[in-house]
Formats: sequence, C-alpha cells, structure tokens
Amino acid sequence: MLLPKFEFHEPESIEKALALKKQLNSGARFLAGGTDLLVYLKKKIVSTDHVISLQRIDGLGEIQENESNLFIGACTTMAAISRHPAVLKRFCALKSGADNMGTHLIRNRATIGGNVCNASPAGDTLPALLVYDAVALVESPDGKREIPLTDFFKGPGKTDLKNDDILTGFRLPYPPDHSGAHYIQLGKRKSAEINVVNAASFLTCEPGTSNILSARIALGSVAPTPIRAPEAEAALMGRTAGDDTFNAAAETARFKDCSPIDDFRGSAAYRRAMVGVLTKRTLAEAFDQARA
Amino acid sequence: MKSYDVISTRANRIDTPDKATGKAVFVDDITLPGMLYGALLQSPHAHAKILSIDTSEAEKLPGVKAVITAKEAGQVKYGVSPARYDETVFAVDRVRYVGDEIAAVAATRLDIALEAVSRIQVEYEVLPAVFTVEDAVKDGAPQLHDEFKGNLCAEVHQEFGNVAEGLENSDIVITTEMKSKRQDGAFIEMQGCIAEYDNRGVLTLTSSTQVPHYVQRTVAMVLGMDVGKVRVKKPYVGAGFGIKAAANPMELACCMLARKTKKPVKMNFTREQVFMYGRARHRFHHTITTGAKKDGTLMALKHECWLDGGAYTSFGIATVYYTGSLLGGPYKLANMSYDGYRVYNNKPACGAQRGHGAVIARACFEQQLDMIAEKIGMDPLELRIKNMMETGDTTCNDLNMSSFGMAECIEAVRNGSDWDKKKGHMPPGKGIGMACGFFVSGAGYPIYRSDTFHGTVIVKLTEDGGTALVYTASAEIGQGSDTAFAMIAAEALGIPLENVRLASGDTDMGVDLGAYSSRQTLMTGHATKEAAENVRRQVLEVLAEQLNVAVEKMDIRNGFIEFDGDTPDFSTLRTRYIKEHRGWTDNPDSDKLTFKEASRIAFLERGSIVGTGKYKPHSLGGKFKGAAVGTSPAYGCSAQVAEVTVDMDTGQITIDKITDAHDCGKAINMTSVEGQMEGSISMGIGEAMHEEVIFDNQGRVLNDDLAEYKIVTTMDMPRVKTIVVESDEPNGPFGAKEVGEGAIMPTIPAILNAVYDAAGVRVYELPLTPERVFHAIQEYRERNKATA
Ligand SMILES: Cc1cc2nc3c(=O)[nH]c(=O)nc-3n(C[C@H](O)[C@H](O)[C@H](O)COP(=O)(O)OP(=O)(O)OC[C@H]3O[C@@H](n4cnc5c(N)ncnc54)[C@H](O)[C@@H]3O)c2cc1C
Repeated sequence: MLLPKFEFHEPESIEKALALKKQLNSGARFLAGGTDLLVYLKKKIVSTDHVISLQRIDGLGEIQENESNLFIGACTTMAAISRHPAVLKRFCALKSGADNMGTHLIRNRATIGGNVCNASPAGDTLPALLVYDAVALVESPDGKREIPLTDFFKGPGKTDLKNDDILTGFRLPYPPDHSGAHYIQLGKRKSAEINVVNAASFLTCEPGTSNILSARIALGSVAPTPIRAPEAEAALMGRTAGDDTFNAAAETARFKDCSPIDDFRGSAAYRRAMVGVLTKRTLAEAFDQARA
Repeated sequence: MKSYDVISTRANRIDTPDKATGKAVFVDDITLPGMLYGALLQSPHAHAKILSIDTSEAEKLPGVKAVITAKEAGQVKYGVSPARYDETVFAVDRVRYVGDEIAAVAATRLDIALEAVSRIQVEYEVLPAVFTVEDAVKDGAPQLHDEFKGNLCAEVHQEFGNVAEGLENSDIVITTEMKSKRQDGAFIEMQGCIAEYDNRGVLTLTSSTQVPHYVQRTVAMVLGMDVGKVRVKKPYVGAGFGIKAAANPMELACCMLARKTKKPVKMNFTREQVFMYGRARHRFHHTITTGAKKDGTLMALKHECWLDGGAYTSFGIATVYYTGSLLGGPYKLANMSYDGYRVYNNKPACGAQRGHGAVIARACFEQQLDMIAEKIGMDPLELRIKNMMETGDTTCNDLNMSSFGMAECIEAVRNGSDWDKKKGHMPPGKGIGMACGFFVSGAGYPIYRSDTFHGTVIVKLTEDGGTALVYTASAEIGQGSDTAFAMIAAEALGIPLENVRLASGDTDMGVDLGAYSSRQTLMTGHATKEAAENVRRQVLEVLAEQLNVAVEKMDIRNGFIEFDGDTPDFSTLRTRYIKEHRGWTDNPDSDKLTFKEASRIAFLERGSIVGTGKYKPHSLGGKFKGAAVGTSPAYGCSAQVAEVTVDMDTGQITIDKITDAHDCGKAINMTSVEGQMEGSISMGIGEAMHEEVIFDNQGRVLNDDLAEYKIVTTMDMPRVKTIVVESDEPNGPFGAKEVGEGAIMPTIPAILNAVYDAAGVRVYELPLTPERVFHAIQEYRERNKATA
C-alpha cells in the first residue's frame, strides 16, 4: 500500500492557506498531524491531488492562558496538551483524553484540531471538550466565526465546517471553583485502544455543600457523533451529589440519552450498559474533585 | 555437577549490537542493481470461477517487465505436507478466498507494478461461499475441493485404552466446550523476499522465512528445477511464530519473475496482505469430557475438536493430529480418545502457530481439572501433583518423557506466587489460578517422509588459528538460536564465545529443517556440538603426535590446553608458532599452551581443520495411524500461576502477575530462556484477552491492521516472574530442550482459572473481552438470584 502522489503545500499564514484552498478548489485537503489523513489516503478512503499543511502557520500550535479562558491552537499535539501546566491544573479530563490517544508516536503528531475535524464518535478528546463547553474558532475567506462544540458534530466524519474553513483553535472557559471533571475510556486492551465506549462528566457544587449547581455529561461511541446527555444532566441539576443521584443520572444517560449500535468492536447492549457504569464513575470522580 | 564455561550463562546475544544500532539487515533493507519490484493480483472474491484473464493492458504499461499467471506458472501442486498438496501458485480456474493469488507483475518501480496489477482484467463468475465450519459441513454446502467431499480436509479418530470404561469407573465426569478465534501471528516483519537468477541458471531466494530448507525444496519442485540450483537464505528475520514455516506463493511468484526477467525481483507483503494470507492459529471448537475418581485420580479423557481450516490445508494435517496428541500429558492418563475434524471454507488457510494445535485444547482441559478439584474439595495444585507424570513415563499415545521436571515446576510456582497463602483468600474481584502444560522439543519426523538428518553443521577453524567458524542452515528469527549455537560450539570446543563466528540460514551450509516445533536448540544444537567436538578431537590428535601425550590426557578449556598431570614441554610448538608471526603484537606468552597455537599447528600438520556434525532423532512413537505427530526426542514442561483483577461492573480484566516455571533441560542461555517464557506469556495473554481476526460476511478481514487486531501492549503485560527449572535431558545437547512453545501452554487456562476464582464465572469462549466477561457475570448474577 503506497501513499498516492499529491502536491504538498506549506503556507505560512492563515490567509495564504485560505487563498490556496480557494485557488485549488475543493480538491485540496488540510493536513495537521496527518495521523488520520495519511491513513485515509493510503487506504484510498480519501483521494486528493493537493495537501495543504497547516504546520508552519504561526500560533496554530500554541496554548495561551487568557484572563477567563484557555486558548488551544488547532495544531497543538496531544503530547503538548498533556504536559501543559494550565491543562494539568484546570482541565484534567482533557489531559486524560489526550493521554489515552493511540501510542507515544501518535500523540507526538496527532493534533486536537485533527481529532475534532475527524469527528469520530470515538474521538478521545471530544467528550472532555464537550463538557468543558469548548468553542471552536473558525476562519474562512468570509471572516471569523465561532461554533460551540455542541453544534460542531454532524455525523461520523461530518462537521459544521465548510469546505473553505480552517479551524484555528478552541476557547475553553476556566472551570469555576468547586468544580471537577473526569474522563474514562473503555476498551479491550489497556493502551493504543479505540474505545468501545467513552464518557466525561463535569460538576460544579455549591461551596460547602453537595448541591449540584451545574452538570455536563458527554458520551462517545454510542451515537453517530459524540453527544451531550441532556436528560441525565437535567436529572442532576439542583440535586445533592451522591451515589443515589449519580445512579439515577447514569440510568437516565443509559436509557434516554444514547443510541448505540452493534459493530465489530462491541454490541449496542454492552455499550448501553457501560454508559451507565462510566457515567456513574466519572460523576463520582468529578464530585471528589469538586469538593476537594 | 558438570561445570560449564560458556553455556548456562547470561551471554550477550551476538546479534544485539547490530539490532540495537539498526545495522542488522532485513529483506527490506536490501536493494540490488537493476532490481525490479513485484506485486500480486489477489482475488477480491471469496469464491469464484475465473472465466478469463486479460493481462494485455498491464503489459503495455511502460516499466512492466513481466506479467505471469497460471498459464506461465504451470499447475504444480504444492503445500506443506505431501499428503495434502492442494495449492498452486496462481489460481487455475477457481479462487477460494479473498486474497487467493491470480497473477504477478514485475516492474521497474513498485507503483508501476501496482498500477499494472490494477489493469489486469479478470472475468469472474462469483460462486456461493461458506465461511464457518457449521455451514461448510451442511448438505448442499458449496464445495471447495472436488477431492474432499463435504469440505472435510482431514479427520482423525484415535482411542487409547478404554475411554467408555474409564468414564464409567469415574466418580466425577465433566463435559465442557471451548471455542477460540482465528489468530494472526502479528510478527513485526511482514513477509518479504528477493529472488535472483544468475547466468549459470542458479536461483537465489533471500526470504524472511523460518525454514530455508523446506522453501528450497518447494521452489525447486514448483519451478521444476534441480534442488542443487536453488539456494535459499535468510537475512535477519523479524519473527514468524509458525506462519513463515512453509513456502508462500509470493516467494514462488518472485522466483518465477526473476527467472523470467533475469533480474533481481523484490516482493513484500503489506500488513493487510499478512492478514489476507493467514496461516496462523486455527479457530478451534473443542468438546472435552474428563472423568476422575473422588480422590482426584484422572481416569479418562474424551476429546472432540472441529478446526476451522480455511481454503487450503497448509499445516492443517499436522495441526489436527497435534490437537489430539499433545493433550493427555503432563498427567498420567490411561484412557484417551480423540476425534478431530478439519474443515475447509472460503477464508484464508490456517496453519501453525506457537504451541501448534495444542493451546486451546489445554485451555479447555485445564479448566476441567480445576472443576474436578473444586467438586472433590481438593486444591487444584494438589490435584495436578497427584496425577503428574514423572521422568521416564510414557503417555498412552507413546510419548516418552525422557526428562520431566513437572513436580519442580509446580513447586516453583507454588512458592514463587505464594499460592498456599493466596488460594481461597483473595478479596472479591481478585483471583488466582494455575495450569500446566508440555510440548515437543522438535518434531520427531520431518514434514516430508525422509531419512534425512534434521540438521547438519560444519565447524571450521581459521587457518591462522584460534577462531572457530560455525556454518549452519538453521534459522535465527529473533529467538536467539545463533547465540545458542555459538555458545554450544564454544563450550564443546573449549574456547571463549568471542572466538566463535557463526553464519546461518543458508541452504548452501547444509540441511536444517528450520525454526519450528521448538526443534533447533535440541537438534541443531546436537549437530553443532558434534561438529565442534570433531574439530576439538582433530586438534588434540595433532597435539598428541607433537607432544607425545595421549588425547585422553588433554582437554581444551577457555582457550587453553589443559593437561592431566604435568604440563609437557611445548616450547618447540610455541617457537614454531612465534617464528611465523614476527612483528605480530599478540604472540602468546602464557604458562599454558593456547588453543590458538594448537589450532595453528594442527593446520600446519593437516591442512584446514573442518568438522561436521549431524543429528536425527532415534526411532520414536507408536505404530498407530498418526503416531508420528507429537513424537519428540524430549519434552519441555511448565506450570504457571496467574493473578487477576476483574472489574465486576465492566467485565474488564487486569492480569496482575504471572509466575511461570519452565523445565527447559539445561538452559544454554538463561536470558534467552526467560525471553521465550515472557514472549510466550505475552502471546498467550493476547489470545486469551483480545486477539481475534474478524471477517465481514463477504470473507474479507475487517481488522487487518495492528490498531484493530489487538496484540498485547506493554501496558497489558503483567509482572512476570520467571523461574527456570533445569533438568538434565539425556537426548539433548548438554541436556537442553525446548522453551519456545511449551511456555505458552498454561497461560490461557491459568488466566481462565483465575477469572473463575475472582468472579465466579467460567467462560467457554475466547477472547475474554470486557463484553464477554460482563455478560458472563450478568448471567451468573441472574442464576444466583434465581437460586437464592
Ligand atoms: C495508530 C493510530 C492510533 C490512533 N488512536 C486514536 C485514539 O486512541 N483515539 C483517537 O481519538 N484517535 C486515534 N487515532 C486517530 C487520530 O490520531 C486522531 O484523530 C488525531 O487527533 C488526528 O489528528 P491529526 O492532526 O493527525 O489529523 P489529520 O490527519 O492531519 O487531519 C484529520 C482531518 O482533519 C482535517 N483537519 C485537520 N486539522 C484541521 C484544521 N485545523 N482545520 C480544518 N481541517 C483540519 C484534515 O483535513 C483531515 O481531514 C489514531 C490514529 C492512528 C493512526
């Protein structure tokens, strides 16, 4: 299996990248780490005559700590995310998503923008980005726009991006005090694993009590896209955190929020059952952090 | 106790520096002047008639040098066992699996060859296909081979003793089933080869193979060439695990392309083609009944197995016999029956893989031993001790255990794992389990019927003296055999390891059946030892003449000549040696006569000192049909204890620790023995936990890469405690026998028994995916609810 021939472009600014893309028409593909795109090209799932690398564009690979939020450039690698102090301090569920992805070699190349644009229902960073209320920042020849991540995914491999759009990065609001979040991926082996199911939860509690002020749950591999679990989240709002509450939310997520299918990685029945277990476990861990 | 200077140490492997620095040359590192690249056209259909093949468009493509199909290749049938030659290099009029080879192209560049392949027009008439054993044996099922009605590739029926009576006299009788999944060897280096055809009509094939000898014979037969004009050699090889233990169609096609174009041709499998070609472990479906007395004495074993064979026989005949013959031991068992069936279907052929035929049968049987132990309230370890065979015992199917440290292995894992403290006292969700096993140290007979020696070795001393060159046709495929033979030669000759140079893996160096059935250490080891001893004797004979000392009064150790009693005056010899080496900086001044001086003098007196060695086993086994399969000059044995944690909510299993004791006879290289033990465990864990080749309903492999075919990662590997038990095998060189395959035997059942201990569930199907274990736990809870 050989990589097919294509022209390779390395623009040094977003403007140049956008201009190139427009000039080359829809035939061109953006390349970040290439860990999805090159596989698709080799396997002839995707074909293209032009590949436009985003790697030389300044700022796309950066993480910036702003006043009230963290900016993560689209071309930031999993390895860089996983060791960034701000991520370690405030976004541990994202760190664990990045750590779970593939192998060391993959994590050194794979970017968060690529993971999001690839829009796999199983993508390892997606549940965490969803529960941290990330906003995707997009530039096109027509200007800049912002897409909340909850509106970003449209189907397996399908996103809200238009053909000319470049995803430049994400804005993640800093979680308030007394909050916590956790991510678990469940697979057949202990690493280099494509999940059977994954889940992330985020909780904020009223200071000094166990009252839940806000809750977000995201689930992967149990619907055509990674999803939030609105029914389960509603079941948590205003309740007192604890096993019973979490069990109830887990049951709701399991039976109301997800729509898994059978495939060669696992059956719908098992996935559904695991949504319950993972929801409960991520909530319990998030709560432990929130009251710590 | 004999004392050794070289063997039984932890010598550094002789290939390590090259491998660690990237200098080791594998097939894909080789480029030759004028080399062409070959590519295969493989069937997209699982079962189809070929109506026509049009290669004209491919031939027109600039850069294409040859296109061959069955028309050029001929229809010589080949395979592994002459009793079942059922393959041709290219499909003649029918394809039987997705991947069946139809044509091959050689071109100046690989992309051109691939493009040419895509331009070959084949007209197919798609035929109905079958993919499972169950469907293939049904009336009216599509038939794969006209000669084998009902898709039955092979069947075996054996009974030793009287099983019905044995079961009748049992107090406890247990019947269970066990189903496994098709494996892939997942070796790191995909198959690849380069063929050259020289002006004198000699064909040289350089291939990533375990068996240069068998490949040489197959190439000669299929290409209609004199064996003497075919040379097969292997460079460094990135493992094989059994899958590379026979000639493959790519090697044959490559040779044909080289002969046709008179240019070197290189071909490689992609990882996808490795999966498509298959030939790894079969999918087994066992039904076993075991009977025992209340005191734990095993009475009888009744065994039936169906093997999912795929489209061709490959190693299948051997597999279906091994599945039965290697089960009864390591326990004393007078009554055993076996009914085995290997069934064809439209998937890639299955073949041999580490622990050939025997792994899943053992996974079934060793669980039953635990069930029996539980029923009679006996420690499963004690039950095994009670029944275990001892040195000198022979199984009911005539396999003789000439050395057998089974008791030592069981005691070693009992102590090593702290079994007595842990068994029955593990917290909820945690469990401990054990199992035993045994395996051949080399098949007793070659794959083709022959009186051939199984291995020959040449040792030659360099004419300047001091260095021994060892030439063997055996196959170093990563297991460490080159180092083992260099060590054996050094020990037998009496010189340091660094003074031995070794070349291997080339049919020009002699006969060696290759790296399979855990045979090389014992068999090639014997031949190496004999060749080295021969050379040693020649050197000592010359010394005897020169110094007037009897040969028996001299010895060579660590590169020096040792004399019984007084050292004779050897100054004449030393002067003679030094005179020839004026100006050399390393002339000897030791009190002792050096091997270097002695071997130089031997050359001056006799010419080149060359010794040969050879080995073939003595006549082995019984007289019944199939008695040869399972015979071996020696058997390794092992016991393992697995400790696991089961997540009762998700079904995920974590293997916390494995304690493994293996009787390998005398350990030639302790570190390599431990490496084989750990490697076997890793492969066993993969098969137990997550490995499975999955097909879609068209017979295409769904998970043909190492992302979706899940071998063990370092994160899945538990702590492994290896305990090497050394017995003295009378039939082994320096007492050595196998460790390469026997060590995988107990792994799967030990894990299964530990999972039962942890979660209360017995799982009768592999792999133990979280989902399968979860459902088993759910059922168990339902059952307990119902009875509570
Ligand atoms: C061996 C292996 C293991 C893997 N394991 C995992 C795993 O465990 N979990 C997991 O989630 N994934 C896994 N992946 C998939 C992959 O690594 C991830 O999805 C990764 O994050 C993709 O990032 P990338 O930078 O390599 O994307 P690329 O391959 O460069 O791009 C992916 C797609 O996104 C588009 N794109 C990329 N960046 C932008 C941008 N800024 N703007 C617009 N479009 C863009 C590209 O055009 C392309 O279509 C694995 C892949 C491999 C090969």
